[in-house]
Amino acid sequence: MELAQWFCFGILFTLMSAGLAYLSIKVKLSWWVWGALIISCLLILFGLAWAGASFLEGVAQSGAIALICFSGPGILAISWIWKRYIRPQAANLSS
Amino acid sequence: MTNDPSNINQDQEGVESTIVSEKQSDQGTDLSRRTFFKRFAVGGGAALLGGGATYAAGSASVEGRIAKDYPETNEDFKPFRQKNTTLSYAASPVLAARDNTRMEQFKKLHDKPADYFWPKLFQHFEHNVPYDNSRPGFTQLDGALQHASWMPWANWSGPKGKMLLFGGTGVPNTPPYTWDQSDKHENKHQFTDAKEAADAVRSAGRLFGALRVGIARNDKRWNYDPIYDLTQDKELSWEKDFPFKPKSVIVMVVPMDYDGMATAPSRVSAATAGIGYTQMAVLAGAMKHFMNGLGYNAVGAGNDLAISGAYGIMAGLGEGGRNNCLLVPGYGPRVRICKVFTDFDFEDEYDQPHTWGITEFCKSCKKCADACPSQAISHSTEPSFYPDHERAKEPGYNWSNHIGVKKFHTDAKRCVDYWLETDSDCGACIASCTFNEPDFWHHWFIMAINPFTPKLIHGLMAELHPAFGYGSTQNPEKVKKFWRTGEGMRVNKHNKSTFGTSNIS
Repeated sequence: MELAQWFCFGILFTLMSAGLAYLSIKVKLSWWVWGALIISCLLILFGLAWAGASFLEGVAQSGAIALICFSGPGILAISWIWKRYIRPQAANLSS
Repeated sequence: MTNDPSNINQDQEGVESTIVSEKQSDQGTDLSRRTFFKRFAVGGGAALLGGGATYAAGSASVEGRIAKDYPETNEDFKPFRQKNTTLSYAASPVLAARDNTRMEQFKKLHDKPADYFWPKLFQHFEHNVPYDNSRPGFTQLDGALQHASWMPWANWSGPKGKMLLFGGTGVPNTPPYTWDQSDKHENKHQFTDAKEAADAVRSAGRLFGALRVGIARNDKRWNYDPIYDLTQDKELSWEKDFPFKPKSVIVMVVPMDYDGMATAPSRVSAATAGIGYTQMAVLAGAMKHFMNGLGYNAVGAGNDLAISGAYGIMAGLGEGGRNNCLLVPGYGPRVRICKVFTDFDFEDEYDQPHTWGITEFCKSCKKCADACPSQAISHSTEPSFYPDHERAKEPGYNWSNHIGVKKFHTDAKRCVDYWLETDSDCGACIASCTFNEPDFWHHWFIMAINPFTPKLIHGLMAELHPAFGYGSTQNPEKVKKFWRTGEGMRVNKHNKSTFGTSNIS
């Protein structure tokens, strides 16, 4: 099961990289926003990976708190960046 | 309109401009696509490199760094007299009858009755308290497990009374840890070099069931001197009585089950320790016979002959913790230690003490001290050369403490007294330890970053450990969980039920 977990996260990581690469040609963002965006994505993946391992080991509480402590801030940061910096350039995303 | 030359020009220009625009658009799309793939490849490659470097740094971190400052001793340090271990005293009616002062100390611990006699209780240890089928962890089911976990032939009434339980109290030369060298091969096997020998010993240890195998030099500082045999009330000398002059000590660590120990304190956690003792005997016994078969002298040891924790540190297997246990990376104190003394010389292949920042972490984390039901563990921030527990200042009280070596000292008398009160081996300090974790990547991640985290973060990590759902003690739910860990064992598709953790939430 752990191997399956790593395989899934390999796919998620690839999708994340592709999404960021797509975003990079569609919108212009300053370097620190890119940094925050990448860290937020990694935080979300880290929290999900932690939660996956915790559920596998049978300590669901650890998984739940990892989602709150790691993935939660990542999602909040991405939401804020999206609203503040990416949505104003939304027209570029579909062109 | 089409006849108008100007219109024709305009139309031609319009068509041309449309074509140019489409070409530019195609070029733009190609450029965007090319840029996308380029950035995807560069970004993904950079991330892979970063991930690889992080993994390499983490792997190096869990190898540990050599601890040059271990051990720190002062002028009061000397090898420990085994007669003064709490277990020797607890198990020996002769010693107890001879020194009433010490019995008075025990009586004062928890207002014991006037006829309280520790060794009498210890003789029937784990059989003193009736089962309570309404109390999870102390039912007949739990008790049957507890008693079965020790080797079936390990009981007090066996031949000469020298069995595994006696070995557990430190009695030397019991059948599992015999001093007999009669099966030593007449031909001494010659290894190509010391590394080949060390690798062979570690491989044999792994096969016999060791979690880790370290090799230390024989070190008189950690050997009990004199050795004490409580069954004969006799002190034994390394020079006159031990069958040979040891050069090396092979130190092996036996894992204990996570879910079993998580039930502490209970008869189930006692069973977890009991099966650990059984495995120690098998492992040390097998390694002793392996060395004998190679033509060298060897004697296996459980809790006897030497201080196991100190030898574990000297062999680079872990660090000393606040609960006075060896804390092994990836397992914490959830291990048992056995040793094999041999006259084989491993030359330059001896292991050295290592650090992973564990003792440093213990300074901030006091979870084991908080969890200890008998308050036997110090809450002091710094380790010290002398015990500093509640009654440490009383004259003659510290006879069971090894003074003069810098560490966290415990009040072992309180600890064993609680064992007798509950008829179990407790284990609360093991179950509650922040380093006691199942074998999953996120715990290794914490282990890897621990040496680089500041003290302030250590305190936070210690607080987060229970918040994340680990380390609770006196929790009946853990007992129920343990008794469901056998589900799925016909296939055991996670391979996690052996010593690690079950997949039962």
